[in-house]
Amino acid sequence: MRNFLLTVIAIFSATIVSAQQLAPSPNSTPTASPDVEELRQQVQALTETVKELKQQMKEQQAATTKANGSAPSSSPTTEESRVAATTSPSPAATAAAAHFATEDAAVVSSTSSSSPNVNANGTAVAGNFPTTDTSVVSSSSETISSTGTGASLTQPISIGGGGKSYMNISFDGVFALAGSSARDLDHIEVGDHDPQQRGFNARNIELAFDGAVDPYFEGFANIVFKLDNDNQTEVELEEAFLQTTSLPFNLQLKAGQFFSAFGRINPTHPHTWDFADAPLVHGRLLGPDGLRGVGAQISWIVPVPWYSQLILGVQNGRGSTGYSFRNPGDGGMFFDRRTTDRELRGLQDFVWVPRWENSVDLSPTQVVLAGVSGAFGSNETGANSRTQIYGGDFLYKWKSANAEGGFPFVKWQTEFMYRRFEAGRGMNESFPVAETFHDWGLYSQVLWGFKKGWVAGIRGDYLDMEDSRFTDDFERQSRSRISANLTWYPTEFSKIRLQYNHDFLYENFFLPARDVDSVFLQFEFILGAHGAHKF
Amino acid sequence: MKKILLILSITVACAFTAHAKLNVVATLPDFGSLAREIGGDKIDIVVLAKATEDPHFVDARPSFVVSLRNADVLIDGGAELEIGWLPPLLQNARNPKIEVGKPGRVQASQGIRLMNVPTNVTRAAGDVHALGNPHFMSDPIIAKAVAQHIAQSFSAVDAANAAFYDGNYKKFEATINAKLQEWGAALLPFKGQHVVAYHDSWPYFAHRFGINIDVFLEPKPGIPPSPSHLTEVIAQIKAQHVKAIIVEPYHDRRIAEKVASATGAKVVEFSQFPGGIAGTDSYVKLIDTLVSRLAAALK
Repeated sequence: MRNFLLTVIAIFSATIVSAQQLAPSPNSTPTASPDVEELRQQVQALTETVKELKQQMKEQQAATTKANGSAPSSSPTTEESRVAATTSPSPAATAAAAHFATEDAAVVSSTSSSSPNVNANGTAVAGNFPTTDTSVVSSSSETISSTGTGASLTQPISIGGGGKSYMNISFDGVFALAGSSARDLDHIEVGDHDPQQRGFNARNIELAFDGAVDPYFEGFANIVFKLDNDNQTEVELEEAFLQTTSLPFNLQLKAGQFFSAFGRINPTHPHTWDFADAPLVHGRLLGPDGLRGVGAQISWIVPVPWYSQLILGVQNGRGSTGYSFRNPGDGGMFFDRRTTDRELRGLQDFVWVPRWENSVDLSPTQVVLAGVSGAFGSNETGANSRTQIYGGDFLYKWKSANAEGGFPFVKWQTEFMYRRFEAGRGMNESFPVAETFHDWGLYSQVLWGFKKGWVAGIRGDYLDMEDSRFTDDFERQSRSRISANLTWYPTEFSKIRLQYNHDFLYENFFLPARDVDSVFLQFEFILGAHGAHKF
Repeated sequence: MKKILLILSITVACAFTAHAKLNVVATLPDFGSLAREIGGDKIDIVVLAKATEDPHFVDARPSFVVSLRNADVLIDGGAELEIGWLPPLLQNARNPKIEVGKPGRVQASQGIRLMNVPTNVTRAAGDVHALGNPHFMSDPIIAKAVAQHIAQSFSAVDAANAAFYDGNYKKFEATINAKLQEWGAALLPFKGQHVVAYHDSWPYFAHRFGINIDVFLEPKPGIPPSPSHLTEVIAQIKAQHVKAIIVEPYHDRRIAEKVASATGAKVVEFSQFPGGIAGTDSYVKLIDTLVSRLAAALK
């Protein structure tokens, strides 16, 4: 008897599901509506019959449950609502039957417009499944971005209450408590977002937006709020760019304000760094803010069997974010020259940033990535002064095959940079000499994620600035540094980091040698969209 | 220059010969297993995540970009399980064939009603997925729907072999339908029993077979077990006479062992993914193993 009831119910539910799919169809024309109305009435009648049958069945089931003394398999509210939503028997009820259920409309809403056929036993048999793409797309459109079919590569993210959004928003705050033997921490720490004074620092509070613009572009923006040493708020438009999604021939175009694709550290945001401060060579050769600016970039994935990408960027390179290039400097002075601060004269005044990166998997748990980068442009210390920067970078990462939360892992990253800087005689040939500086440096760091959420790191830094008898700029002092840190990530949305730095500043013609000890306690939190982790 | 041309022409040649088969990328090994069932020898498949690693945290390796660039079909969960690593890969892969909404993109969760959709999204509750619990493949009925979805996608992209894919889907469906009788019968005696799991990965499996997997070693999803929480769990295990504690290959088994020795429950190694535990190279074998291991532990 129960078998028969179940079969009837299954058939009715299947009919209702298909009828419900018909009813709200946007394709139904006004002429078709009477038919639909009739169908609705039929469905109504059927629903009532099913309800009655279900009631009967529930009573029966209650009786058997009592007899067996078994508890319901999940919380009553969920079960109730799931059943109510789909008018299908609960699996617990079907499990009691002789045949174990092989269909469950409560969990699978039909992916095709045709409902599955059901045979006399109540088990489903395969129907004729459509072989065209329209059935795949149309029936499942609810999970597709509202910007239209095929519009987005990024999935819409639920924010504030689970609704879908056109844009991912996140907020990121990085703070640091600093202690140092130096009174001028702003001369010791080379990055603009590094701790710059003893005591508390809030130098990287960031708003990030991203999403699909339309079927052709994705947009990204990062706005940074920074408190200076007098607690005045400064705002930086760190990045705001769009990027193509579907250019042919593996090409991708990017345009707007963005970090140049030079090396490993430069294109990334400070809160993703493995140390509380920027490497010396990065801060001194590419600049305290890194190399970034308004421009455009094209990249091409080379069609070879391994990962190989060629990137060419072109940017204005003007101002402090084009530090080694068209940078008028503080108070119109750079390396003690009065700078020219001129308008763009031609292509040679842009900064051109080529990069080639390659990666191979050494084994299922080991990856290496190596790249070479360049940055070429003119600088403001003379009418025809040029700057060339060359870089090489290397990354090795091992991650356990049984990694939980991404741990344990070992990551070794090294970057080398060399800068040839033609320091001219300044505006109106006011400086006594023209010099060419050959500056270079490197850092190498090893991070060991030894336990879920815990990372220990060690880093060595070296910076060799060519000695000059004509400029006492403290930024031209050669130095080295050793750093060690320990970071705890309670989740991927927060971190607490303790770091120790020992700095060696080397004597030059103007500046004495000195040693500096610093300790930083850094803390970070992230609100909003789940940031993805780039490799 | 000549060398470069040579390399390029070889690559192009490789690309053409490779095109004889459908290039399929699956983010996770369970989707990969279904793709093999449906695609057979008509596809070349690359699975990104390892069966033994935490699917929430997979490195976005550059080599994955190459696989995605060459893909004719991408199968992902679509329920934010891979949100920490898939988006940047797709941004870099620049492959219009696998965009959402194209026939070459299978988002497995489409058409699936996800469980435990939070009414209020807050990370104070741990790593809660706004779209619902994304570990849905442990329900064989859902796996059938995903397999059908995959078959439809393969047929749409490679129409010449549509009948082959459809036939394989029907074979898979029949296998699952038959197997469900076996699995259902094996676990029927334990209906309503409570089981402890390390992470909340098993609501779909529990729902299907009427087992209550509702106590977790993690105090909140993604938050490592704390001593005070484990004390509570041990009390619950004793009160409810729980016999089994489920751990996955990437979980800290020692913690589960500690709880087991304090309570007399057994540690049962489970995996969401074929290949995550020994002898489970296909989806059906995986569920076979899970069912028999659980039945043995609950006896």
